[in-house]
Order: sequence, then structure tokens, then C-alpha cells
Amino acid sequence: MIQNWQALKDDEKKRDIFFLRAKIIASVRDFFCREGFLEVETPNMVRLPGMEPYLDPIKVALPFGGIKRDAYLTTSPEYAMKKILAAGFPKIFQICKSFRGGEEADRLHNPEFTILEWYRTEADYKDVMADTENLFLHILRSIFPEKPGAEENLIVYQNKKIDLSLPWPRLTVREAFEKYAKMNLDDNLTLEAMAVSAKAKGYVVSQDDRFDDIFFKIFLNEIEPNFDQARPVILYDWPAQLAALSRRKTDDPRYAERFEVYAGGLELGNAFSELSDSDEQRDRLTEERDLRKKIGKEIYDIDEDFLLAIRDMPKSGGIAMGVDRMVMLFTDAKSMEEVSFFPAGQIFEN
Amino acid sequence: MASTQDIKRGVVILWKNEPHLVVEFEHIMPGKGSAFVRTKLKNLKSGKVLENTFKVGEKVDVVDLEKRRVQYLYASGDKFAFMDNTSYEQFEVGTDVLAGFEKYLKESLEVILLFSEGSPITCEFPKKVSYKVTEAEPGVKGDTASGRVTKEVTAENGLKIRAPLFIKEGDTIIVNTETGEYAERA
Repeated sequence: MIQNWQALKDDEKKRDIFFLRAKIIASVRDFFCREGFLEVETPNMVRLPGMEPYLDPIKVALPFGGIKRDAYLTTSPEYAMKKILAAGFPKIFQICKSFRGGEEADRLHNPEFTILEWYRTEADYKDVMADTENLFLHILRSIFPEKPGAEENLIVYQNKKIDLSLPWPRLTVREAFEKYAKMNLDDNLTLEAMAVSAKAKGYVVSQDDRFDDIFFKIFLNEIEPNFDQARPVILYDWPAQLAALSRRKTDDPRYAERFEVYAGGLELGNAFSELSDSDEQRDRLTEERDLRKKIGKEIYDIDEDFLLAIRDMPKSGGIAMGVDRMVMLFTDAKSMEEVSFFPAGQIFEN
Repeated sequence: MASTQDIKRGVVILWKNEPHLVVEFEHIMPGKGSAFVRTKLKNLKSGKVLENTFKVGEKVDVVDLEKRRVQYLYASGDKFAFMDNTSYEQFEVGTDVLAGFEKYLKESLEVILLFSEGSPITCEFPKKVSYKVTEAEPGVKGDTASGRVTKEVTAENGLKIRAPLFIKEGDTIIVNTETGEYAERA
């Protein structure tokens, strides 16, 4: 198999992507420094990984203190960064690698990928939405400083023009279900109700399908493909059962203050008003742990240190973004393999 | 009853009771959720293409197609002629059946054609095919001035492939038809 580094020697266009990648990351740093954020570094190797039911942390054998311990590569730096918020640092960001064992190495995924996370205290998810919009425009200005007036906020991704002008369209998940799936989500927040609605639409619903399985069947078939591809979309206020680390809405606790940002058909980021109620967080983590057990995944202890930190963590908003996918968007790359010198598929080829 | 693990490009499934060819296939993991598979399906009767996203593990009806081993004869415009080795029956198929593999065809190459109700609808192409190299610039190992590691060579059927510098005219190379890349020297 011809490796990227071999093909790059002869291909100017492919090489340009990497110069742009470096510029993009530099402009991300520049943005956060100007906004008064502190860049932090947290471990990629921890004792207790995150509890997300569908992620597969990669286990490593760490020789430490004379014995071989189980350690895990982090799927996200979230827990550690929240501890730093609790330590009294109000605005922090990090660009680092994250690792997910269950991922295929394909167009959109690589088991090792680059993640950008930022958190701000005395803030919520709406502040993070504004950060996201401003960050993208800042990146655009840095890499394409001379776009003519009418084209100022336009990028082209896979033959489609995307207008990044602010404000970006915002849609609640309830509105999206109403508009695209003709469903009243309020009436469909239980597994039973969702199953009935999905079957009525002609979906196959099996005995082991959980709420989120059916939710996403409808979402991926009827909703996401119909977003206006000419603009980014901020999709917010998700059912609480799909947002375990996020604060519930005070005016409607069935929903949580979570948003996802999409552009060019790419899922770019996942953000929350962070949950700061330690007891509720314990309950949610316990539920996740039980689900992991149920679906046959490795289970971990709850990170008590994390729960202690949540108690001291001020009201905050935070987000995780896929840097590789951001780079894909700005360089018009179809696949993650094009924005990485050494994609996993080439390192670990069959 | 099969499941999503049995589907990939080129497989035919029953979707809403009609046979559909899986034209595209990709894994997605929405919002750190469980895994789904996004597919592009072509209705074999109407030719209409639609998208459907399945949850990984969902039960899917795979249609078993009749397989026949055929030998490539020649191209005529945008049609390609093959002959069934046992019945000597000849078929002409278009690029929709060959799905991009037509560029790897060479004289007498054997492929498997898959039939649904008597018509060829897709093919199983050999993963690796060997070709004689008919054109190659001389490339000297250690040609570090240009920094090149590969060069373009031409195969016996006109196909252009990037290959290592030591490949010469007259060599036989093996090409991976899934990636379109040089695999090894025969």
C-alpha cells in the first residue's frame, strides 16, 4: 500500500492541506489566547476513563510503582478539564489527541484523532455557541484573508457553498423533529412512544432497541440529511437521556442544554451547559455504567475525584470539536485520511 | 436473516420488498451514540437511488444472487463483452455493472458476474490482478535529488499506476483493484 508520505512527495495539492492544517491550528490558539483562555495539557493516559456507553477506551498496561497497572487512553480530556475549572481557572482550552477503540478508520473516523475542547465558567451553552461561530470566522480570516466582499464568509466544501455568516441557524431538536420528521418530540420521549411512532413510519424496531437507537434511526434518515447544506446548523436542547453530562433545562427538565454543530454534512462538535450537581452526576454516571454492563462493554469505577470537582465547579459551558473534521471542512478534503500524515488504516494495514 | 455485518458494496438486499444494490456503505456514530451504517441503495427494478441508515446489527434481507464465472472478451464503446466459460453464452454489460472496475480489465481476465432474474447486475472483481508493464521511465534507486519514491508506469491495458522506482518495462506487477494501487512485483 502506498503510504501518504510517499504520495505526498509528488502531489502539491495534497501537501497544501498540511500547511493549511498548521495554519488552522495556529489560528485556533490565537483565537483562544485573544479571548483570554489558558491553554492546558491533561493526561492522555488515565486510571478511570469516561463512562460514555458507546465508546471503547483503549486499555494499556502501565508498569508503575513496581507493578503492571491497567490504564486507559482518554476518549476526551473532559473530566480532567472540569477538575481544572473546579481549581479556579475560569477559561481553559486544549488541543490534544483522543483515542476511541471502537472506531473504524474511515472517511470520518480514526482511532486516534485530534480534539479541541474549551470551557468557560459563569457561562452556559449559549455562550459556547457564540464562541463557536466566532472561532470559525476567525479561522476563515486567518487562512483566507483576502476574500472579496460578497464571498467574505463563504467556503466551498465538496462542491457546495457554505455561508459561515453570523448568526448561524439555530434549531431545537424538538423543532427539527417537527419540521423534518413531522413528529411531536414532547410526546415521544419514552422508549414505548418512540417505538410506536417509528413503527408507524415503517422503521424496523427490534426488542433490544433503546430510546437512542430509535431516536437516531429517525434522526439520521429523516432529519440530518435535510439540513440546509448551505449553512452550518446549531441543533440544541436535546432529550435529557441523550445528554448525561449536561444540565437539564430549568423550564423543561425533559430536555438538556446540549447542542451539536454541523456543517457540510459533518458533525463537528458536541457542547453542553455543564452539569454541576454532583448527586445528579453520580446518578447519571451510574445509569451509564449499568448500560455499559447491559450491552457487554467493559465497566469502570466512577471517578470520585471527578464528582468532588463537580461540586466545586462553577456554572460552566464547554464543547468538544473534532479538529480533523474542521480541517477537512476548511481544506475541502473528503476524508480524514487526507488531513493526516499517517492514518491508522495505513499504519495497521491488514 | 442476515444483518448489517453482511452488507457491503455490491451486495443486494430486499428493501421494502424490492431488490436493491448497495452502492455505497459507510459507518457513522452520531453524537457519541451507537453505530449506524449509512447506505446508498439502487432499486434494481426502477434504477432509483435512495439513502437509508441502518443501526448496526439490524436484521437485513440479503438476496442471494446467481454467480457465474465469465471471461472478458473485448470492449465495444461503453459496453464490455464477457463469455460464460461453461455455457459459452456471451453477455454485454455496462459500467453500471462493472462499477468502476472496467479500468482494470485485461484480455481473458476472469470475473464473477452476479445475476438477478437472468440479468447481470453487479460483479465480483478479483482483488488483485497482474499486468505486464509496457511503459516505464528508467528510475534509479537513490534518485534522491528529485526526492521521488514512485513513478508512473503503464500497464498492458493502458492503465497508469504509480509504482516503485525499480519497476522496469517488461516486469509484471500486481495491482490491488480495491485501492487502485501497486501491491507488489510478480
